Amino acid sequence: MNFDFKDVFPILHTSFSLPFKEVNDYKLIETVNSINQLKLAHTIQALVFHKVENYMRETVAPEFWFHFNLSNDVEGFSQFYKAIDLLHNYFTQFLYLMRNVNVLRERSRCTEAVYGEKNAVQVLKVIIRATLLSQLPSEHNKIIEHFYETGLKMNDGHFQEKVCEVCLKDSINCRCLNCFYETNRKMVDLELLEPLVGQVLTSLIYTHIENHISKTCKDNFDNSFINILEMWLDNFIINWLHKVYYCGQSSESQDYVTIFKRKLTNFLYETYTKMRINQLFNIIIEYPESLPALEDLGKCLPKTDLRPLLTKKLQKAMETRLLHPGVSTPDILTAYVASIRSMRVLDPSGLLLEMVTQPMHQYLRSREDTVRCVVGSLTEEGLNDLAEELVKGDAVHVDENGGSDEESENWENWMPDPVDIDRNKSSNVRRTSDIISMLVSVYGSKELFINEYRTLLADRLLSQFSCDTEKEIRYLELLKLRFGDSQLHYCEVMLKDIADSKRINHHIKQDTDYTEKNFSMSAMVLSAQFWPPFKDEKLELHNKIVSQMEAFTGAFETLKGNRTLSWKNHLGIVDLEIELPDRTLNLSVTPVHATILMYFQDKNEWELDSLSRVVHIPPTVLRKKIGFWQSHGLIEEVNLNVFCLMEERESNRANLNVDVVVEDYESESIMASTQDQREEELQTFWSYIIGMLMNLDSLPLERIHQMLKMFAFQGPTIECSIQELTQFLDRKVREHQLVFSGGLYKLPKGDM
Amino acid sequence: MAQNVDPYYAQRSDSSKHSDEGRTNPTDNNAVTKRLQKELMTLMMSQERGVSAFPEGENLFRWIGTITGPKETVYETQKYKLYLQFPNSYPYTAPFVKFITPCFHPNIDNNGNICLDILKDKWSALYDVRTILLSIQSLLAEPNIDSPLNALAAELWCKPEEYKKHVTDTYKQV
Repeated sequence: MNFDFKDVFPILHTSFSLPFKEVNDYKLIETVNSINQLKLAHTIQALVFHKVENYMRETVAPEFWFHFNLSNDVEGFSQFYKAIDLLHNYFTQFLYLMRNVNVLRERSRCTEAVYGEKNAVQVLKVIIRATLLSQLPSEHNKIIEHFYETGLKMNDGHFQEKVCEVCLKDSINCRCLNCFYETNRKMVDLELLEPLVGQVLTSLIYTHIENHISKTCKDNFDNSFINILEMWLDNFIINWLHKVYYCGQSSESQDYVTIFKRKLTNFLYETYTKMRINQLFNIIIEYPESLPALEDLGKCLPKTDLRPLLTKKLQKAMETRLLHPGVSTPDILTAYVASIRSMRVLDPSGLLLEMVTQPMHQYLRSREDTVRCVVGSLTEEGLNDLAEELVKGDAVHVDENGGSDEESENWENWMPDPVDIDRNKSSNVRRTSDIISMLVSVYGSKELFINEYRTLLADRLLSQFSCDTEKEIRYLELLKLRFGDSQLHYCEVMLKDIADSKRINHHIKQDTDYTEKNFSMSAMVLSAQFWPPFKDEKLELHNKIVSQMEAFTGAFETLKGNRTLSWKNHLGIVDLEIELPDRTLNLSVTPVHATILMYFQDKNEWELDSLSRVVHIPPTVLRKKIGFWQSHGLIEEVNLNVFCLMEERESNRANLNVDVVVEDYESESIMASTQDQREEELQTFWSYIIGMLMNLDSLPLERIHQMLKMFAFQGPTIECSIQELTQFLDRKVREHQLVFSGGLYKLPKGDM
Repeated sequence: MAQNVDPYYAQRSDSSKHSDEGRTNPTDNNAVTKRLQKELMTLMMSQERGVSAFPEGENLFRWIGTITGPKETVYETQKYKLYLQFPNSYPYTAPFVKFITPCFHPNIDNNGNICLDILKDKWSALYDVRTILLSIQSLLAEPNIDSPLNALAAELWCKPEEYKKHVTDTYKQV
């Protein structure tokens, strides 16, 4: 009887040889029956599996892994093929044994599962898998990787050469591709494909996808790639995977490929999105040429959870590439406009925009010339983003606290904020993506913006000295659409002043009582109330001019009645024609320069100090102004601090008829700077604060602010945020002009 | 009738020409506000030493004023707080002014009421907060002994030593 067992289950022999010698069915049944009689089925089965395990461990696995020892790349392909072939060979031979075990199990009605499997063949597979993986050498990935890489290349049609890289045969005779598929089929048979190569395959395909994406779309923002990439994934990768997984054979592999496909699609999106996020700064700069790339990114973002990464990366990129002193403000503004427009494409909800532009806002706020640049480019002629935006004029009214009505009207279209955005950041305020409103809101108030516009306008009107205000009026109208009439009323008056000046000058010139003796003069008559404050400079004009000005004032008074002129001596332009013995100079200069020259006309030689006393200009400034004439060769410093008029040039220098309009090299604004104005305003507040604290003893911050708001904030531009007030008051506390205790501000004792 | 009108004046207008008052009141009120606002601004900007005033709270019609005692008088170094209330008819009617800080003075009674001609029959629309305060300041230095509200003070005026003691005592009551 014993022998019978071993014939049916030859592995139980102490020594056996492969392939197993098969017995006929009759003998098999008989042996199984007798085993059952002896109730040994369980023992025999366990014994068989034990033997199989031993054999696998001691013979098959080492043999299998032996193929992986070679690290030669070219042989990798065939080595893996051989290894799998070997394994599959063993597997088929053991199948006979397993069939017998199955018969035994059936006959003995043994239903107990071994290793969780009821079928002996499955048990065998489990054993093979377990044994192989238990002896996994560390280097095994290399061979597998090489194998699949080669497979992928063959699929991609990379082997354009006549000779196959692997077998070095002609491509017609090469059977490598068949070998590849055969190997895969065998692995699917063994259910070994996923455990053994799954990971390697995934990472391989990932790398492949990454390479493909960076190769095809890296520097190309002008095309949309999403569809192309998805098609590529379907056509190449998924198709190939189908072949690898030997689909059509088992539904399990089919499922597996479906899962794989989902994973890969996700990875594809993620990789593409990441790449675009890394390039986002460039994409933004290249807007609108890069619109397709942005649209792609906009589609990808909801499918991936990379929004926080995008915000972080972009902010970082902005910081390192844009928001530093090396970049000029107009460039930053251009980038800012581009990013607003790009973000509109990316995320219509505007939240992303808010997050991304926040650092820009902060930075722009710290730049002194921002408002000037914004206003400047708004009103500049020619192709310009901002001007375009203004002219486009969808008349989005800049209104800081409006919008709530509209929101409730559109409740049906309401969309919740994207979920992956910092909760704290989301605001109830309606987010606008109107570029000009955003730029204006950089400063928190449109007053400041309008104030700057006023200064700029004043500068321009006064420096041009032309009464052509058509263009300015046009822009003013456009701005009025946005900011409302009341805010820009002052500017309107300014423009009207210019037009009126023209008329007044005309009238005065016709006045018979008014005569112009030596030169013609025209004045800009400005309403002091409405113009921004001018920089105050002292200048005592020459008598001739003063008398002329008095005559002009007289004529004005008769014309206008009840009104008079207060002259700003240092402002204006003087057209000079200087006749010298050897040449004539035509120049447009400032009143200061003209005055200096006029004094030199009276007296050839001046000491710096005495001239300084006459014109009321400090000597240091005066010296600089004289420098202008020195550069024209008209005045020379003959001794230290003694200047002399040079009527004739030294003969060795060529006679030039200089007919140039020399712009004042310090072409700075004649208006008091915003900062100076602000300081003045704060000083006003300070008087009020002293007043209230003196009478009301001590007050908390809020109350001071409230009182100021009620009693001190008048006029169009005066305003002070509570933060600014805090800073101001803190400064006063530091300067011991104020005492702060228990949340209340008061004046130090003994004041008044 | 607007809610924010002082009941006293509302009553008065009710009793007199009802329709007329009702029509002119809002514009008048606006004008008064403007005038007071302007006065406040000039007062704040003038930075005058010795007198100061500021609205008490949200209401522009009620102010707190501060004057320092005039130099070389017994009131020197002392600071007096005053309460000013402006009628809707201001500046055609004088404001009501009284001392908050107790003050020992012939023309000021124990409740802080002041006897000063320009606050009564001599009032003119040309006066403003600043001039009122300056007048009161000078009243401290030169009392009108002939029409005293505080008889004791009037009596003691000629005895500087005793007078000064009373002044400091009263001031210290704060």
